[in-house]
Amino acid sequence: MAILKIKNLHVAVDGKEILKGVNVEISEGETVALLGPNGHGKSTLLNVIMGHPRYQITEGSIYLDDVDITNYSTDERAKAGLFLALQTPPEVPGVINSDFLRAAVNSRRENHLSTYKFYKLLDSAIKEVKMPFDLATRSLNEGFSGGEKKRNEILQLILLEPKIAMLDEIDSGLDVDAMQIVADVIRKEKEKGRGFLVISHYARLFDLIQPTRAIVMINGRIVLDGGIDLIKRIDQHGYEFIKTELGINIEKEEPNMNSVSIGSCAVREVTKK
Amino acid sequence: MSKIVLENKLDLDFTTLEKEMSFELSENKEAWLYITNLNNDNIVNFELASNAILHLSIFAKEPIKNLKLMANLKENSQIIVYFADFAKESNTGEVSINLNGIGATADWHLASLASDKDNKNISVSVYHNVPQTFAKVDNYGVVKDDSKLVFAGTSHILKGSIKSKTHQNAKIMVFDSNSDAIAKPILKIDENDIEASHAAAVGKISDEHLFYLTSRGLNMEDAKMLITLGYLKPIFNGFDEDKVEYINETMGGRL
Repeated sequence: MAILKIKNLHVAVDGKEILKGVNVEISEGETVALLGPNGHGKSTLLNVIMGHPRYQITEGSIYLDDVDITNYSTDERAKAGLFLALQTPPEVPGVINSDFLRAAVNSRRENHLSTYKFYKLLDSAIKEVKMPFDLATRSLNEGFSGGEKKRNEILQLILLEPKIAMLDEIDSGLDVDAMQIVADVIRKEKEKGRGFLVISHYARLFDLIQPTRAIVMINGRIVLDGGIDLIKRIDQHGYEFIKTELGINIEKEEPNMNSVSIGSCAVREVTKK
Repeated sequence: MSKIVLENKLDLDFTTLEKEMSFELSENKEAWLYITNLNNDNIVNFELASNAILHLSIFAKEPIKNLKLMANLKENSQIIVYFADFAKESNTGEVSINLNGIGATADWHLASLASDKDNKNISVSVYHNVPQTFAKVDNYGVVKDDSKLVFAGTSHILKGSIKSKTHQNAKIMVFDSNSDAIAKPILKIDENDIEASHAAAVGKISDEHLFYLTSRGLNMEDAKMLITLGYLKPIFNGFDEDKVEYINETMGGRL
């Protein structure tokens, strides 16, 4: 059984420490809800596990099936069985969605799928996420609605069959029907034994996919690891109990944007240096 | 200078032709011209009569120096150009399109790849000499290794050319730190009642795009290749299917 183990993970961006010693384990077949206020490191954790080059691991290790993958490149992690559905999938002009999907599917196969077999596989997956087939023939995510982008992420999850799938706010931008479709796919994939690490701010998604446990990240650390009753409690009462019961001060999210006037009729947001 | 009157469809290999060539398209005619194997010091002139439509597709594979393309368009004529420049070595090209009749339209698409020690400088200029003339110039390039690629050119709306529209777009993707790219689309506007825009972008492949593709298992080289092909491939829209395969192979070989 595949196990993703994160041991004492410290991560910095541009010299600023974001993750301050994260320890967590996710087994194949488990669905873990990752909760926490904005700006406390949830998306950072998922991106670091996937090997995003923007983040520097300053201490700690990531293991998949007892193999240390801390120094693996992003594509090596994907081939090892990790998958990350992005919160905001990028639009890549000119790259045809089906060409990309085929290259991704073939990247982990010694013998590449024939065109016929690939399109059969694609057609079946597209039907599962109830996505119009023409989205496969357009530029990758370009001009897709928010919901279509998220369905395209789930389509990739089906095609790539990872051991552990990480979903970063997969429910944002989804209407009620699309949420149901995505949840149905996640449930089916769970039954196949895949592990899930899922970020969401809404209990609705968790009600539909029924996680096996919930963890809470505050100030760049996992401060709670428990049952799914945590989800309901946070949904109803927020994170204040963490402070009163655990004595952990919840750091406020630092604004990293600065408003700069560029004239009398417009204000532009720029990154603070 | 030899002259060819265009009819319907023509495939031309320039190695069999003179250095200086002139092509004419008569009134109300529509023609498709495919040119390959342009050579050093070619001077090619196009004369379009009223209401003529020319679909011009050019594939450059061999080295070209001092290429000069000129087109003169009479009223309501159109020239639609797709130029796939995957030529090796130094390459300079100068294109001038004169919109001389009301309603004349130029639609220009260029995809250019510079690699190794290429030094390419391609200038596309459009002159709106009378009212209600229209032009769109799209130049897309990829520059890698120690090469240099320059997109230049001026869209000039002359005095009196009211209600004309001109748009220029120059984009270059930079692969390596030793590569050099310059995009400088220029507008010269001498009239008020017109529409004009120009855009230039030079930059490397987005790190977020590379992360996205590699997170699905593509290695870095394959991810870069897919993104680059996606950037240049729209030029294939201007070529017949039987030509596309050959051009695609040439492009792939150079990447």
